[in-house]
Amino acid sequence: MTTVMLVDDSATMLMSLKSILTKAGYTVETAGHGKEALDKLGKGLKPNLIISDVNMPQMDGITFVREARKSPGMRFTPMLMLTTESEQSKRAEAKTAGATGWLVKPVGPDQLLGVIKQVLPGA
Amino acid sequence: MASLLRRHSQAPEESEQRGVRGDVVAEALEPIPAFCEVIDGHVKDVIDQTGEAAHAIVQQMVKVDSLAEVMAGDVSQLAGTLTRTEKELSQVSSSNDQLVGRLISYFLYRDHQIRALVDQMRDLNEHVTQIEQVSRATNILALNAMIEAVRAGEAGEGFSVVADEVRKLAHRSSEAAHGIGSSIADLTAKLDGVLSDDTQFDRAQEFPANDEDTAMTRRLGGIANAQREMSEMVSGILRDTIAAARQVQQSSDTLVSETTQAVGHVQFQDISRQMLEHVAEAVADVRRQAEAVSGYARGEISAEAIRDGAINVEDLRAKHVMARQRFTHAAQTGIAEQDANEPLIELF
Repeated sequence: MTTVMLVDDSATMLMSLKSILTKAGYTVETAGHGKEALDKLGKGLKPNLIISDVNMPQMDGITFVREARKSPGMRFTPMLMLTTESEQSKRAEAKTAGATGWLVKPVGPDQLLGVIKQVLPGA
Repeated sequence: MASLLRRHSQAPEESEQRGVRGDVVAEALEPIPAFCEVIDGHVKDVIDQTGEAAHAIVQQMVKVDSLAEVMAGDVSQLAGTLTRTEKELSQVSSSNDQLVGRLISYFLYRDHQIRALVDQMRDLNEHVTQIEQVSRATNILALNAMIEAVRAGEAGEGFSVVADEVRKLAHRSSEAAHGIGSSIADLTAKLDGVLSDDTQFDRAQEFPANDEDTAMTRRLGGIANAQREMSEMVSGILRDTIAAARQVQQSSDTLVSETTQAVGHVQFQDISRQMLEHVAEAVADVRRQAEAVSGYARGEISAEAIRDGAINVEDLRAKHVMARQRFTHAAQTGIAEQDANEPLIELF
């Protein structure tokens, strides 16, 4: 079973994305911000993919990705940023931090599932 | 934050003059209209964005609704088909029972006919016994005739020859009758065996051609044809049922797809929320500036502090995170926005 971790401070976004991914056959774990997500990884959660927002309270998405890359077994895990942020400098910062891709909201369900297939070819 | 105003604890130098310079107040208030216009643009933008998304959701829901109706129709059709299937299969089952009943009756009828023939063949044995009795009697008569012929002497010689031939004939009749009796006994025994035990059929290596035109093959052929027609009818019913079920499945899949798209549209809420948060921050900046001007007018804040903390449209621009916010800002201020043209989806 492929597990996807969703990190977003919007409960509506988490509900919407979880519904789409669950319907597509993925197991979904959620976190409301980067720190909560990092705590879950620290407790042994090993998702096959992480989809994170950028602008969040407590810990933003780019810092989360940078820290998550240091977690055991997370070095090669695909991490996508799903955000309203369109600033080029932020995009470059995320890339340097270890993000796999950048998706600007809103993203249609088919587009999102297509990108997931690209980064998780065997899933 | 540059727009945050510092409140001075010490009385400003101008306070001694107890007057307010109009040019300073005017300068402080000058950017507020432009500022408000940008805010106005963003608010309208949020309204438009929310309206578009709501419209998309309603459209999606209308599609979902109509699909649900189609699906309900399909389900009703399927239920109707299944009801008909149940009824027709019940009829087929009844017809099958009748056919099998007729087949059993047919074979019983043939069995009875054959048994009657066997009984008639057994009756032939009585006639054979009579023939044997007649032969024995004839033989005795021939022997008596021969004795009488011997007594008659020379005159009875011819009669003696005839009597001997009659005796021979009686003997041959007896042998023939005995042979017929044995054959009949053998035949009836075999027929009894065939009627009581059909396992020879299972052991048989060769069978007669099944296209022989006999009363039985015609009867069985008719039954087979009726059975074939019923099988075809059942297959037709099942095909209709499967087609109806597939239609329901197709409608269901489309419905699920449309529902997923509708759920995806809900992302507008997150976008609108962030836009409104920025609007709220900007309004708070305006409020702080208005408070500062008010403080200045009351002699509590210096002109320099007013200038340092004054709101600026460019500061507002720096807070935008979405391309749409920047374009709206540019449109409202008349300052051309540099189009970064970044892809909406990019894999590094």
